Amino acid sequence: MNSRLFAIIRKEFIHIFRDPRFLTITIVMPLLMIFILGYAVKLDINKIPLVVIDHNRTADSRAFVNKFINSGYFIIQSRMDNTGKIHDLFKKRNAKAALIIPTDYSENLKTQLSTKVQLIIDGSNSNTASIIMNYVNMITASYSQEINLHYIQFPLNIEPRVWYNPDMESVNFVIPGLVAIILMMICALLTSITIAREKETGTMEQILVSPVNPIEIILGKVIPYVILGFIDGALIVFIGWFWFHVPIHGNIFLLAFLSVFYLYSALSLGVFISTLANSQLIAMMTALVITLLPSLLLSGFLFPISSMPLVLRAISHIVPAKYFLVIIRGIIMKGIGISYFWQQILFLFGLGTLLLILSRSGFKTKLE
Amino acid sequence: MQKILYLIRKEFLQVLRDKAMLRIIFIVPIIQLILLGYAVTTDIKRIPVVFCNLDESAMSRELISEIKHSGYFLINYYEKDPQKIRDYLDTGKAKIAIIIPIDFSGDLQRNLHPDIQILVDGEDSNTSLVALGYVSNIIQAFSKEQFRDKLLGNPQQARRIHLIEPLIRVWYNPNLLAKNYMVPGIVVMLLTIITTILTAMGIVREKEIGTLEQLMVSPIKPYQLMVGKTVPFAALGLLEIAVAIIVAKLWYNIPILGNLGILTLFAIIFMFTTLGLGIFISTVAKTQQQAIFMAWFILVFGIIMSGFLFPIENMPKFLQYLSYANPVRYFITVVRELFLKGSGITYLWKEGLIMLIFGVTIITLSAMRFQKRIK
Repeated sequence: MNSRLFAIIRKEFIHIFRDPRFLTITIVMPLLMIFILGYAVKLDINKIPLVVIDHNRTADSRAFVNKFINSGYFIIQSRMDNTGKIHDLFKKRNAKAALIIPTDYSENLKTQLSTKVQLIIDGSNSNTASIIMNYVNMITASYSQEINLHYIQFPLNIEPRVWYNPDMESVNFVIPGLVAIILMMICALLTSITIAREKETGTMEQILVSPVNPIEIILGKVIPYVILGFIDGALIVFIGWFWFHVPIHGNIFLLAFLSVFYLYSALSLGVFISTLANSQLIAMMTALVITLLPSLLLSGFLFPISSMPLVLRAISHIVPAKYFLVIIRGIIMKGIGISYFWQQILFLFGLGTLLLILSRSGFKTKLE
Repeated sequence: MQKILYLIRKEFLQVLRDKAMLRIIFIVPIIQLILLGYAVTTDIKRIPVVFCNLDESAMSRELISEIKHSGYFLINYYEKDPQKIRDYLDTGKAKIAIIIPIDFSGDLQRNLHPDIQILVDGEDSNTSLVALGYVSNIIQAFSKEQFRDKLLGNPQQARRIHLIEPLIRVWYNPNLLAKNYMVPGIVVMLLTIITTILTAMGIVREKEIGTLEQLMVSPIKPYQLMVGKTVPFAALGLLEIAVAIIVAKLWYNIPILGNLGILTLFAIIFMFTTLGLGIFISTVAKTQQQAIFMAWFILVFGIIMSGFLFPIENMPKFLQYLSYANPVRYFITVVRELFLKGSGITYLWKEGLIMLIFGVTIITLSAMRFQKRIK
């Protein structure tokens, strides 16, 4: 291997290991993130505190209430006689839903085709509220069927089946996503800062007047971060599998191979930013705005792109993390092969090359 | 007192003169608020769905059109070959597949209870769960319709059948809009980030360029210096929150039911914490870059553990306990409750008290550390 290139790589590694902040960002931060996010990101809900206001007070109404408790989704927070205090309980955040059974419940149940019970849900968190709504519909429908078992069955059955993640574990979704975020952070953010630092301290000029050519400089600066990125990515996937039991359905070597394309585009982005910025602070701010935020928000990492307005959906098409998320989740969760990823590979490769060409011209002007 | 006023004036002049700074303080947060409000959403809309209708009768087409017109499923594919359904889910082209079996309407007529198969891409478990709920509800409603029609023809049996139907009402956010919950949270995030970082950077910058030493040899006492350094940022923080509330109201139409005076009071209490944190960071960091790194590190975890995105009550117990030590958690609760429920001080005083204790403790400890450093 080219010894000049090798020397730059060595120098860069020494820089990294000497600066405790860099190590914090590259190793400690990802580890903390994976543990906290792995545990914290749980959007599935159970033990919803429920207030029961049973005006009927019969064996029938109690049986119905028991159905709610036995579902495992609700726990009874309190029982009350009137509806006047529901606001109070919701505002104290002691309950999230109130079940009101009317006085004539048991009578209606014997004589009417349809008996109404009322449910009030605290809607302030819309996501929680819509999940509670689904639970309520499910419980009442299955109870209706149960008490009429001798006479009817509903005319058609719904047979839902969940693929790829049958236990609906959010960890399985979040941890592969985290790989994309951390890689982007390390590659784009750190590369741009390290190149900007050389500019700021004036050492870039020293390197430029030395017999090293620009390509060697860029490669030398970038390769250590590729290696760090790989180590981090492998670490996250390993912890996800070992600690959080995220099943890996696909080929891990294919994932490693395809990560190269993502790293390529992320690093090119970092190099590109460094040609725009002259100081570390500006490099960092720019990197935050154009790499990290879009990777977090517009990639589908946590929030569904399909629910966003048109403008944001359009912008999401140029976010590299979006394409890598398809790849990594596809391989880890769905176990699908390379034939599904041509579009993604092409985009990542194209974007990386485009950015490199742009930043090369930026670099050259600085040389003269 | 006079000296403090001079310092405050100087700090304001410095901020107002710096165009880049002003941009960071006012324009960037507004852009963030507008972007984040749309991007940070748990709404489930436009779920791509593939229909595999093996029946092709009027009835199955009616069911499909019911699902299509529910408003949640705007992207539709039709596939004749059930073998190819897997491909739609594998590629992510569709998130849900609905398979209507052969002779569905005939079986329905003959009371054979046909199965409708729903395949869900479970990758994003939250989206899948909600989407599955939507589909099941629509099919169930359709099923009930059919059932009723049949019963009307058989009054004898109708008398024996009794169904329970929930009447669901949603309070505080009847249309279940994610933005009503998220935007108040974003307001809190902006205030937290801006006041912490500005305070830390403001002091560290003086350190870096050496003017802090000049201030120290002047007849200003350390506490005066600190007050002079923090009061302007507190004022900017309040201004910031005012701008954010105006954007929330005018741009997003977020209902603000609570008393804005109480909100201001809580914001001031909360800023003791963020300003204190800023001072603390400034005593540890030597350069602005270190300050940003530190602030960023602390804030990321403060935000994750605040309930801003992920409900705390769903977290495992030890993280829940940990979150009690996070002041952001209390402020975010207060702001959301104030906005959406209009809760008054009777419901929020506990949070206020805890925030006050946190704030006073943090700012006192940081101030002591700051004084020691200066001497």
